[in-house]
Amino acid sequence: MRKGKIWITAALFGMCLFVWTPLLVMAAGVFMPEDELYWRYLSPLGLGRDRVRAALLPSYPSLEALGELLIRSPGFFVMFWNSCIQVLPMLLGQLLVGAPAAWAFARFRFPGRRVLFGVYVVLMVLPFQVTQVSDYLVLDRLGLLDTHLAMIVPGIWATLPVFIMTRSFETVPHALVEAARLDGAGEWYVFAHIGLPLGYPGIVTALMLSFVDGWNGLEQPITFLKDKTLWPVALYLPEIAGDKAPVAFAAALIVCLLPALIYLNCQEELEMGVAASGVKQ
Amino acid sequence: MTGKFEKRGFCQVKRGLAWILMGGLMAGMLGGCQKSGAGGETSGRTEQIGQLEDGQGSGAEVSQAPGEGKSKPGAMGRYGEIQVLLPESVEGQSYVGFLRGEGGNMELYTVEREGDAVKVTDAFRYIYREGAWQRDESWEGNGILKDRGIDLANVAYGPDGKYYVGGTDEEYIYHLFRLDGDGSSTELLEDVFLPKDGQSYGMHPPKFEILEDGRIVVFDYYEVNVYDASGKRMFTMARDFSGNTGDRRGFCEGQEFVTVYEGEIVRYSLQTGKIVETVNFDEIKDRWGSMELFGDGNGGIYVVNETGLSHGNRGGTLWEVLIDGSLTRLGMRSLNLQKFLEGDDQDFYGVFTGEWEKGIQMFHYKYDPDLAAVPPSALTVYSLEDNSTVRQAASLFQSSHPDVRVEVRTAVENGGAVTEEMIAGLNTELLSGKGADVLILDGLPADSYIEKGILMDLSDVAGELEDTGDMLNNLLEGFRQEDGAVYQVPVRASFPLLVGEQKALQAYSSLDTMAGYQGERPLMRITNYENLLRKIAHLRYEELFGAEGAVDREMLVKYLETVKALGDANGSKMAFTEDEFEKYFVSNHVVSDGITGSATEYDRGVCDSGIERMDGYWALCLAAEVRNLHPESKFMPAGKIYLPKGMAAVNKSTANEDLAKEFIRCLLSYEVQKEDLVDGFPVNKKALELWVETDRPEYSIGSGYGDYHISGSWPDIEARREIAGMLEGLTVPVVVDETMMRMIVEGSGDYLEDKATVDQAADGIMRKLSIYLAE
Amino acid sequence: MAGKERRAGGRGRPGRVKRRLAPWLFLAPSLGGVTVFTAIPFLDVVRRSFQDAMGRRFVGLENYRAVAGNPAFRLAAGNTARFLLVCIPLLMVLSFGAALLLAGGEDASGESGDLEDGIGGGRDGRNRRQRGNRYGIFRTTLALPMTIPAAGMVLVWKILLCPDGVLNQFLAEATGQVWEVDWAFSRWAFPVLIATYLWKNIGYDMILWLAGLGGISGELYEAAKMDGAGFWARLRYVTIPCLRGTCGLVGILSVVNSFRVYREAYLLAGSYPDSCIYLIPHLFAHWFLNLDVQKMTAAAVMLTAAAVIPAAGVWIGRRGGKE
Repeated sequence: MRKGKIWITAALFGMCLFVWTPLLVMAAGVFMPEDELYWRYLSPLGLGRDRVRAALLPSYPSLEALGELLIRSPGFFVMFWNSCIQVLPMLLGQLLVGAPAAWAFARFRFPGRRVLFGVYVVLMVLPFQVTQVSDYLVLDRLGLLDTHLAMIVPGIWATLPVFIMTRSFETVPHALVEAARLDGAGEWYVFAHIGLPLGYPGIVTALMLSFVDGWNGLEQPITFLKDKTLWPVALYLPEIAGDKAPVAFAAALIVCLLPALIYLNCQEELEMGVAASGVKQ
Repeated sequence: MTGKFEKRGFCQVKRGLAWILMGGLMAGMLGGCQKSGAGGETSGRTEQIGQLEDGQGSGAEVSQAPGEGKSKPGAMGRYGEIQVLLPESVEGQSYVGFLRGEGGNMELYTVEREGDAVKVTDAFRYIYREGAWQRDESWEGNGILKDRGIDLANVAYGPDGKYYVGGTDEEYIYHLFRLDGDGSSTELLEDVFLPKDGQSYGMHPPKFEILEDGRIVVFDYYEVNVYDASGKRMFTMARDFSGNTGDRRGFCEGQEFVTVYEGEIVRYSLQTGKIVETVNFDEIKDRWGSMELFGDGNGGIYVVNETGLSHGNRGGTLWEVLIDGSLTRLGMRSLNLQKFLEGDDQDFYGVFTGEWEKGIQMFHYKYDPDLAAVPPSALTVYSLEDNSTVRQAASLFQSSHPDVRVEVRTAVENGGAVTEEMIAGLNTELLSGKGADVLILDGLPADSYIEKGILMDLSDVAGELEDTGDMLNNLLEGFRQEDGAVYQVPVRASFPLLVGEQKALQAYSSLDTMAGYQGERPLMRITNYENLLRKIAHLRYEELFGAEGAVDREMLVKYLETVKALGDANGSKMAFTEDEFEKYFVSNHVVSDGITGSATEYDRGVCDSGIERMDGYWALCLAAEVRNLHPESKFMPAGKIYLPKGMAAVNKSTANEDLAKEFIRCLLSYEVQKEDLVDGFPVNKKALELWVETDRPEYSIGSGYGDYHISGSWPDIEARREIAGMLEGLTVPVVVDETMMRMIVEGSGDYLEDKATVDQAADGIMRKLSIYLAE
Repeated sequence: MAGKERRAGGRGRPGRVKRRLAPWLFLAPSLGGVTVFTAIPFLDVVRRSFQDAMGRRFVGLENYRAVAGNPAFRLAAGNTARFLLVCIPLLMVLSFGAALLLAGGEDASGESGDLEDGIGGGRDGRNRRQRGNRYGIFRTTLALPMTIPAAGMVLVWKILLCPDGVLNQFLAEATGQVWEVDWAFSRWAFPVLIATYLWKNIGYDMILWLAGLGGISGELYEAAKMDGAGFWARLRYVTIPCLRGTCGLVGILSVVNSFRVYREAYLLAGSYPDSCIYLIPHLFAHWFLNLDVQKMTAAAVMLTAAAVIPAAGVWIGRRGGKE
């Protein structure tokens, strides 16, 4: 009822306030000229002690920082492009390799399935630090170090997307698959024509999360890429920390813009896919 | 229903918007990347040099896909560097100009300048004919300049076939003349260089050029003016000033003028004075921003700096690296690049000088198809931050080993912050049995590396060097382990020098005496607490951290109380406000050893003693002056401690053991150590002797604030000898564990601000320390 | 299930053989790569845990003994457990709540006195989607934090949390007292860390919940409503049982993401923060910096075993119970 809706909206607003406040502070920082930033945020910038004068709107909006970043920093462009080169093929690979594997885990019963799936989960949870040296040795053996492939290839075989896609394929109605099989459809046909369309939301979710992880990953490029000209944009941020705070805000905004926009798109795709699977059940 | 459609419409609009934005972003980034990116992929790398079979014509090939840029092993051809012999008389003379004069011959102009710059001196011209330099005895210029009382500063050869010279008279006013070729001369733009109203100095152009139409382009620091022959200013073109009064970046070609403005290379039209083209050159910038610019005669631009010689075509955005700076003298820190000229055969000539435009050296860069594009073997040197002495050694090593590529890898460039990931990245390589051959350990976990057996025992190298008697053995011995192994050697050293009266200096002997100091004024100057904490930790390192390098609780309490007592006495604070910056001459800036230079504060009567970090004789200028002003005061080192810098070590799993050890020897050699790169004293005794002997009458340093002013010249030989003597007596290297230091700084804030007791602070710090030590 | 397939395969019809091979064909590309790029490194990690730091000497269980007795490890493990126990349930409940709210005024709250609910008739997907759009702004913004790199947010956290920061000012306004808490460097660091973790991950998890919620058939709700089930009853008997799979997914992903909180903690409070937020990743990072890989790998193997063995035990137990 109306009253219910008001409560829902209020609760959402409460939650959003928590999420929005830092976002707005950041957004305001992007458009602040340098001197205003110093005046307001002397203490957090580590330049002295003074009361923080936070603002959600800059007093003198300026595109200085964005301009500095987009026009004067060709390094940023190179890094942004490196990120694209590294992340997009990785996503494609995850789709090509991960989706069939997830389908196998979700729709077939074969000996060792659960153990194997368990292994995938364990491998997924291990933090990068632990396997860093071993990963390095493998990549070195394969001669992939210091190339874009060092970012792409191991990413393709990350187990996290397989895990998410498996969960999604499991919701594909069993009856539908059986019916198709009875009609004489081959396994690939079933996968391509029933699995993929119905498992769509999971695939999109998995790839989107992979995208965000790949885009914001720091440790891997620093470890595997000695050649700084191959560095992705995520490494631009730590590099400019310190005295270039105004640019840091702007860089954060630009860096997250692409993932955010992709999310905006996926969000719609996601719901459509979700809805489709809901109807057919 | 309409509502629904609206919502649907909104949804589509939103999606459309997202797609458009995304497309725009990608396109923008791609565009931006194309604009300058390809250069980025090739920035500062050697691999391109191998592809320049036909000189500069192959620019298009540079923009290849990344990965392919790696030169294939065995690729041949690169620019070689050959020193050009200069006449003996050039030695001791100062550089004035290097240009193509009459008949296209290369000409070198020098003056014989001694000490004081404002004095008329003899000027010389040398001409390069048939592969050799000869002094041009018949040059009319010197006579004319002497007659006019001018000290030569600039020379240019005009399109009219006449020479133009500029220089200062005894009043330090600049004059520009045309040498008419018949023994007479004509003064030009006379009024331009006179002091303007209210100013005591006139303009001293670093450079001028003469145009075809007779106009004169005169460089000033932040702008370049174009005058017509009558001396009327036609227009002004803005440029960046490098901070060096000899900043000559810029050249005219045809009706265009190229210079640097707002961090980019700009092309001005000499008809309108407006910018017609802007070219980004970030990927070939070096950390100093100094460079030479010259044209290729076809509208293209050459840039020469520490990274090398690069060429960009007109309208292009690609920089093609022709000569890799790190393979040549261009990468050498002790040499200043003065001028580059293109030869007749796609070759180049470069003139370098040492300090004060003296020590002129010339090199010829010629494409050599028989030289390996990349030297067949490589020696990698890794350091977290840039180190001038290491660069210097690398460059020297490079020139004596043309078949070895010395690659200096620095994790952080241009003052960025060192992050844990960078060290972790290096560790991954080291654990995999790889990594650089030579490691500069500053900021790296040296003790862990030693414990884990990552580093090679250099006791043979160290022992052999010590036996020669050429080294300051006291500085090396501090790094000998108990079992006699030496895993690291410092390439530079500095030490804290105390200045003050006997009573104050005695207070530095322990924490207790520091805390209990009773004098007319506080013992030390006011500073922020972090600096104070760091300063005391360094000065009293042995007492505080003991032999094990760890602090116990009792000592920690004593240390914190001492810092508090000192801080209470001099008014130190955690952080100062901007008003206080002015009032107390302080800042919130933190230096790793906390020594901010306080001899002048002692002189001002703010405190009873001053501390200066001695990292070269330049740092002694003011301190020596202060001591002269206070006859009752004296110098004293802070115990036996010194601060080593550039801890060089060799990776045990290196494949180039001999080369790596040779590089260590090179780092410590007289040739490297003799240069003063403002990063510390030499550890080589002979080099130190040279430093002691070297007088620099030109050098002076001043400091002032409010009504107070002090200036000091280069310290006299007695003072220099005294400091060198102190250095030879220091035996305790101090490298404070930065992790512990940070814990202490973070944990003591509340106590120092009177918000907590010393016990609370000590407990908090000990809690973290115990975790740290337990790991 | 597995047993049934095996028996079915026994008949030896060609199609059945194909069916038995099929999963392996689907798996092969993934399995091959995972073996090379993930499993082999993991086995290498296990091997290293029995060797000295440089991998030169076999030391048996020495590393395990050293790690188990290490006070820093105990502290970090305890803190990490505490952190996970607090923040994962909290995150899951909050993000589930957000997803429920967002999934509309419909499935969850939907007393369908609402006009629009009536028009659509069935709860088909399209209807739900449009309904979602009313809350589109929330949906979009709640998930934004996960896209923002940690380094970009540090300054914002400092603005909010430093002693001169916004939070203290707000509290001072509210209480009329002076607040000078250094949130990131005191005992408060723990809740602060949880808040940043929640801030970053609520949207991430909410997407997963939403996907799960979308997968529940509208007919189930219709049926439940017919039976007169109220909001809570539908939540209890329809929504939650249907989301068991999603729950596992969200839970595991939340654990994975909890390791990433280290980046925030490190950037905000340094590598040695207050001992209440000294977590396993801090310890691992320090061990790595000091080349103590042997300790790190041993600890990682121990922690993995501590997580896997009980899970495997439960699974085997359950299977044993069935048969």
